[in-house]
Amino acid sequence: MLAEFGQSAIWCALLAAIYSIAAAGFSVYRQKTDQISGQKWLSSARNAALITFPLLLIACAIMVMALITDDYSIAYVQQVTSRETPLVLKITSLWGGQQGSLLLWSLLLSGFLGVAWITKWNEKSLMPYALIIGGFTQVFFTYLIAFPENPFEAAPFLAANGSGLSPLLRHPLMIIHPPMLYLGYTGFIVPYAFAMGALMTGRLDDGWIRTTRRWTLAAWLFLSLGLILGGRWAYDVLGWGGYWEWDPVENVAFLPWLTGTAFLHSVMIQEKRGMFKVWNVVLILITYLLVIYGTLIVRTGLLSSVHAFAQSDIQWVFFGFMVFMLLFSAGWAIYRAPALASNNHLGSLLSRESAFLINNFVIMAITLIIFFFTNFTLLSELFTGQEYGVGPQQYNLATGPLFALLLLLMGVAPLTMWYRTSINHLGRLSLWPAAVATLLVIGIVIAGITQIGALIGLWIVFFSTGLTTLEYVRAARARRRSKDESWPTALGQLFVRNQRRYGGYLIHLGVLVMAFGIIGSEFFQADRQIFLQSGQRASLRDYTIEFVQADFYMENDVQVAQATVNVYDEDGSFITTLFPHTDIFGNGEGMTIPDARSTIAEDFYVILVNWEGVQRNAATLRMYINPLINWLWAGGVVFMIGTLIAAWPDPLDMKIAEAERRRVAVLAAGD
Amino acid sequence: MSQSSWTNTKGINLEKSSNKSWQFVVAAVLLVAAVVFVVFNAFNSTGGTQLYVTVDEYLAQESTLSGRDLRVTGWVVGDSIEYTQIDAENSRLEFDIVDDLANPTNRLHIVAFNEPKPDLLQHEAQALVEGQADGNGVFMANKDGLLLKCPTRYEGEQPVIES
Repeated sequence: MLAEFGQSAIWCALLAAIYSIAAAGFSVYRQKTDQISGQKWLSSARNAALITFPLLLIACAIMVMALITDDYSIAYVQQVTSRETPLVLKITSLWGGQQGSLLLWSLLLSGFLGVAWITKWNEKSLMPYALIIGGFTQVFFTYLIAFPENPFEAAPFLAANGSGLSPLLRHPLMIIHPPMLYLGYTGFIVPYAFAMGALMTGRLDDGWIRTTRRWTLAAWLFLSLGLILGGRWAYDVLGWGGYWEWDPVENVAFLPWLTGTAFLHSVMIQEKRGMFKVWNVVLILITYLLVIYGTLIVRTGLLSSVHAFAQSDIQWVFFGFMVFMLLFSAGWAIYRAPALASNNHLGSLLSRESAFLINNFVIMAITLIIFFFTNFTLLSELFTGQEYGVGPQQYNLATGPLFALLLLLMGVAPLTMWYRTSINHLGRLSLWPAAVATLLVIGIVIAGITQIGALIGLWIVFFSTGLTTLEYVRAARARRRSKDESWPTALGQLFVRNQRRYGGYLIHLGVLVMAFGIIGSEFFQADRQIFLQSGQRASLRDYTIEFVQADFYMENDVQVAQATVNVYDEDGSFITTLFPHTDIFGNGEGMTIPDARSTIAEDFYVILVNWEGVQRNAATLRMYINPLINWLWAGGVVFMIGTLIAAWPDPLDMKIAEAERRRVAVLAAGD
Repeated sequence: MSQSSWTNTKGINLEKSSNKSWQFVVAAVLLVAAVVFVVFNAFNSTGGTQLYVTVDEYLAQESTLSGRDLRVTGWVVGDSIEYTQIDAENSRLEFDIVDDLANPTNRLHIVAFNEPKPDLLQHEAQALVEGQADGNGVFMANKDGLLLKCPTRYEGEQPVIES
């Protein structure tokens, strides 16, 4: 009964979304002859689009209810939950499997689009086209959950209990990681819809960029958060001591983030100089296509992956949709390209616009390399009949130097001026940071570190961090002089007065801090696995562990095997006790939970290996030292704060928008 | 000082600066060359690209593949999993993988030294093993060469057997 109700809600949402497209299309046609009637049809199209959100929300609520009440007549409920699953996890298993994830995807998309239709309603000329394009994506995803991936499908047999959520997904980070990614993914569909609207109407000024800049930043923020949380989850749960494996599913989430990053930078040139208009449209089109591509890869298991739980037959439907959207978008972009000519052209190689251009080039090169490597198995099979794959080492070698170049640009580009910059100006500003970075690197060499890749990376990180910090110092000092403010006030005022700029630099600092952590953990990780009897000790670098004992106990339906491990420093002084453990769930699945001693310098991370062989007085342990790893997470936090500052609604912008709304209202009244 | 980077340099002569387009050509050539170099460097590095095969493909051409760095994909036969602690420093993890769990005759025996037993290593899990054949019917996994995928029953689908 419940299932039929949820099913109907999805069908109604699909019908509403289809109607919305048709009505929006008809409004364009009516607009030519009868404006009032055209407006009515447009309102009707919008209302139909808005109703999809509550309908899908009802479907989600019913699914959650079915999950909570153990309604095993629904196949999905059988797959993702069990009677023993705690309440919170029952709720979050809404996105624990394929069909539920797509349901949540559709819901978030309709929510995002709904907010855009309400807040951007005064964009009357773009609106019908944006409604059609956004609506088309909505129809596609709603179609998936209405038919081939129906979450309410009846179970083939009535089970007394479900299989339960995969233990790996029972982690708090795994609960919030997928929705963040989906928010990022679906958020990018709004700027795409408006960009297409601009292409289709020929209204190719900065209007669509201004309309969607904050949307893009919000989508980008969620995607960043999704990526960072995913990395942290892997680090905490998968027990390999790593956070990024260049796995296809990780890569496809990273690709739209990269093109989104390129877009956020290149729109600034269009706003300041009226250049790169075609490029900006193309970037948002690519970002949209990568979002669809990412969902295709994750949801159809097209590429082998540690994460791809899904194997399904929807890949051809998906593929068809993606190719159609590619041809449709590319067709419009090519058709309008002549109208998107630049108002200006590049002056000097040493200028802000050139710096942005190089930034875009490097980001797109990285995107292309990752895309090419990710699809290498498919491509090689197509051309040679045999499948070849590319490993993490190849990804690191190919993208590492380009990421280093980006980090360097991050420091230098903000020093450049529009039009052109003199070498002397750049040299004067970078002298001190370069000197300090060089001294620091010399110190590191003296300390015994000689890997050339790491040293170059560290020099760039120090140099760019110095330059970025000086940007704040100089600007704050100028404020102190002119306004007689204290240092904290002056610094705070920078963020208030130019949040986009100084929030942006904070994002740069966050990335540099993350890079510091990545260099440390990538180049200097160490590990050792050893079997110890009670009281026996083993060392890794400066750490010595002593295995005390193993304990076994039950916690709800989970059987826990826990080791007690004392940790000593190089002098033999006791530091701490760690409790790595393995949780064995009711269905026999194990989950290794590491325990770590975290400091600003490094993580000393211990896992209990092979729980079946563990006895009370003997166990196999694996130790990892992950140098500087916590800088990666700390940098992530700085990055998020920076993005929030840059994306925060600007009071001045809001006043302008309000004035614009009034102007439109007055004009409309005048008609 | 920093505000100056937002102000336009006055009296700029765009005609004159456009003569510097050679700068852009040089920069573009250098950047493209750098990108081509890093990609080629990655492909020529140790490891390079790796051949992916299924168990049956592997068994069919075992003699030619022996000694090559490969990735073999197959389904784990649950009762073949065995973990042995040889001595304090060394452990051995072994299991069989097959292409068809319903007909598990063509098995490939995987051996991994000093690897923790992955949480997902269990019956019906899909294993992606990177390593080399030793020529005696045993496939030796590389360090960190074991990748396991969740058993597909989480998605309610039967394992899909690749041809």
